[in-house]
Amino acid sequence: MSVGQSPLRHDAAAKTDGSIEYAGDTVPAGALQAVVVFSGRAHARMLLMSTDSALAVPGVVDIITAADAPVNEYGLTMRDQPALVGVDHTGAAAVDAAVSRWEADQIAVVIAETRAAATAGAAAIEVEWEDLPLVDNIDAALAPKAPLVHPENGLDTNAYHHLRIRKGDPDFGFALAYAVIDEVYEVPHQEHAYLQPEAGTAYIDNEGRVTIEIGGQWTSEDREQVAHVLGLPEDRVRIIYKAIGGAFGGKEDMSIQIALGLAAMRLAERGEHRPIHCRWSREESIVGHHKRHRGRIRIRLGATHDGTITALEADVDLDAGAYNYTSNKVLGNAHVSVAGAYRIPHARIDSRAIYTTTVPGGAFRGFGGPQGHFAIESAVNRLAAELGIDPVEMRLRNALVDGDDGITQTVMPEGVSMREVITACSLQAELDEALPDPEPFSPIASLPSATTSLRRGRGFAAGFKNIGFSFGFPERCEAEIVLNGNPNDETPTSAELFHGGAEVGQGAHLAMRQMASDATGVSLDDVHGHFSDTATSGDPGSASASRLTFMAGNSILGAAEEAEKAWREGDRPARGFFRYTPPPTEALDPETGTGAPNFCYGYMAQCIEVTVDVDTGHIRVDRVTSTHDVGKAINPALVRGQIEGAVVQAHGYAISEDLQLADGFITNPRFSSYLIPGIGDIPLQVDSQILEFADPLGPFGARGVAEMPFITYTPALTAAVHDATGLWFNTFPLTPSRVLGGLQAAEE
Amino acid sequence: MEVSMSVNGDTQTSDVEPRTLLVHHIRDTLGLTGTNIGCDTSSCGACTIHVNGESVKSCTMLAVQADGTEITTIEGLAGDDGELHPMQAAFMECHGLQCGYCTPGMVMAASSLVAENPEGLDETAVRQGLEGNLCRCTGYHNIVKAVLAVGDTA
Repeated sequence: MSVGQSPLRHDAAAKTDGSIEYAGDTVPAGALQAVVVFSGRAHARMLLMSTDSALAVPGVVDIITAADAPVNEYGLTMRDQPALVGVDHTGAAAVDAAVSRWEADQIAVVIAETRAAATAGAAAIEVEWEDLPLVDNIDAALAPKAPLVHPENGLDTNAYHHLRIRKGDPDFGFALAYAVIDEVYEVPHQEHAYLQPEAGTAYIDNEGRVTIEIGGQWTSEDREQVAHVLGLPEDRVRIIYKAIGGAFGGKEDMSIQIALGLAAMRLAERGEHRPIHCRWSREESIVGHHKRHRGRIRIRLGATHDGTITALEADVDLDAGAYNYTSNKVLGNAHVSVAGAYRIPHARIDSRAIYTTTVPGGAFRGFGGPQGHFAIESAVNRLAAELGIDPVEMRLRNALVDGDDGITQTVMPEGVSMREVITACSLQAELDEALPDPEPFSPIASLPSATTSLRRGRGFAAGFKNIGFSFGFPERCEAEIVLNGNPNDETPTSAELFHGGAEVGQGAHLAMRQMASDATGVSLDDVHGHFSDTATSGDPGSASASRLTFMAGNSILGAAEEAEKAWREGDRPARGFFRYTPPPTEALDPETGTGAPNFCYGYMAQCIEVTVDVDTGHIRVDRVTSTHDVGKAINPALVRGQIEGAVVQAHGYAISEDLQLADGFITNPRFSSYLIPGIGDIPLQVDSQILEFADPLGPFGARGVAEMPFITYTPALTAAVHDATGLWFNTFPLTPSRVLGGLQAAEE
Repeated sequence: MEVSMSVNGDTQTSDVEPRTLLVHHIRDTLGLTGTNIGCDTSSCGACTIHVNGESVKSCTMLAVQADGTEITTIEGLAGDDGELHPMQAAFMECHGLQCGYCTPGMVMAASSLVAENPEGLDETAVRQGLEGNLCRCTGYHNIVKAVLAVGDTA
């Protein structure tokens, strides 16, 4: 048996000796270099663009503009974005392609002999713009008579996607409450900061396909979007993922894929058959791709004297930025998350995705969960404090159990383990023991350690995250398995797995091989993977939404069964293909929010211990207990890796990562001013507690884990800071200056 | 300008533009793509190599400044027989990597840190010694374990 073990990653040797090849790593001989030109305008209409001077720059070979896009629109869930903003496009587009709606709308692709020549060519492009009014935050977007970012959609508001929940009678519920919390929470942007910026190579392969070697999260969806703009059937486009230097949701949408695809197609038509290479700088990456949504959540939560929740009201406003990306889906998760994993008899929730002329919001580990949970878990902690009830007891009193209806008024998918997870976490974190005195610390090694200004505190939060895109999305995942052996062999000697699922660093390909090994009976060493090439693998669905192990595992189990049938019938090699489709989910009713949006959840709870220096505002996290029902840990070392990694990403979100925007422009697009956690900043101790309550639908019982450890971190941390200082923070990151400002304001 | 340096034991002589960064020279001219580029601001450490035995972010030097030096990149860290350096083996065994993009720089910085501290390292020293290298996947805990697995026995 391989499942449940932690064999070493098969890619580890190549990743430690430098031989692994990341997308765009090797520039093929004779390759041309491409530079993608951003509009540099937050909101403006293009009046004129001339590429004459740019084409005259020595070394510039060609320039791709809107005129080269057969279909000038794209988008993962809504086609509301021009591939290239321009005035001379003739292709079909439902969106007004002459308008730049954020600073990184792409206007041209300059192709040259060298990157320097391409950069010089980009600088020589002449554009005349007519500025349009800025709509650079959600207040501006919601103001009466606000300029519309997307007038073409026919709506009279920038709040283009609105979800509702109407359950019971909230007025009645609040009348029953002994205490009511009414707070407004502000959540900030977050940058993915995967260590590898976007890079890739495009060429026409020997079967005539427009081929793009890149790092992404969903081969088939990349292909669909590129093919749509290129006006080609999907089988004329090929996507190959090389090694991927991190993603976290940030490579789920298009960055340079369409630019590369258009360039390869048009140059080939003009007789130029050289490969085209493109790589973004860190600054281009941060400016040029979407972020975790910033937003504002107002929440009212009422409970009786004993802590039983009676009613909830919430208004969730997320800044979608210039284009939808996956905002409608993220909003759905925030909408359900804001009610927490609790029994709530009376509720009104209104959630809106709002267009602005700023960087788009999109997928990022947690996918709406962190925003929703920050509000509800903060409110639960405040309500518990006001009622004088232990926060763990408060949660146990209200947690959903099997057979309960969720907030969308349908029964929760079987396997609700919220209570078990909360209890396990509280025991592991030793909550019944008092915190020891603070250990002296200094955030900067050269400064003396503080001693008398240190305050300790502890905070708790819990929650859940769905597996998959859900809300009616037609989930699927395809696998093919080939069993090899001689005609007389009783069992196969080796197996080959063909799968599209993206290895973004999480170890998915190893987990898939482990599941294929158990499913076929072939030892792990003899299971060989062929991954992430649309020419050889089917539609995997996305490596996101904590879905890949669940979906890929089920597709592999099905393919193994098919292959075994063929094996028994004497086929050598024996092939099996399987397309797994989980139980269908439902979009929520537009008026009441009723529906069954999800088929599986992972449940989590976290306890965080901090030391706060009240003289400097620095926070040190001393200990994190992160408890997860993963159903079945296919590879426990990889699961712990997900937990430890997500905790530190969440630590950055909660404490240090502070994306700055001014007039629609990101003003700190570099690692020197956008501060992700370094090794000196991280929690001193992370206890990963893995629980395995098998999911009825999961392969080997597995649920998912990638997002869950991120989601509850911030509310647990702010509760710990409250425990230490007496202050509730309704926004973050809790930088030293924000903490100090809060402490000073409280003194005055 | 002509520069000459020993790279992983081989003398490499090339004509470079004076403004060429050492990291670009290593990747683009010498074709050693194990040394990665993660930022433009010398913040991430993905390009860390050894220059005359000490770890250096290769984006902080010009190629011409490396004239006459001995350079080791991640490709040259393993033994001649292909046996991995103990630090490479420790990163593998301790699951000190996920996407792997920071790994070459981490391994180069960590192997230098261990060499500079023959008396051994504790967890605090590892955390201070690797402050210049960013990782976005692992949360660093397994990286600390990997370095201590080697550094404790140094």
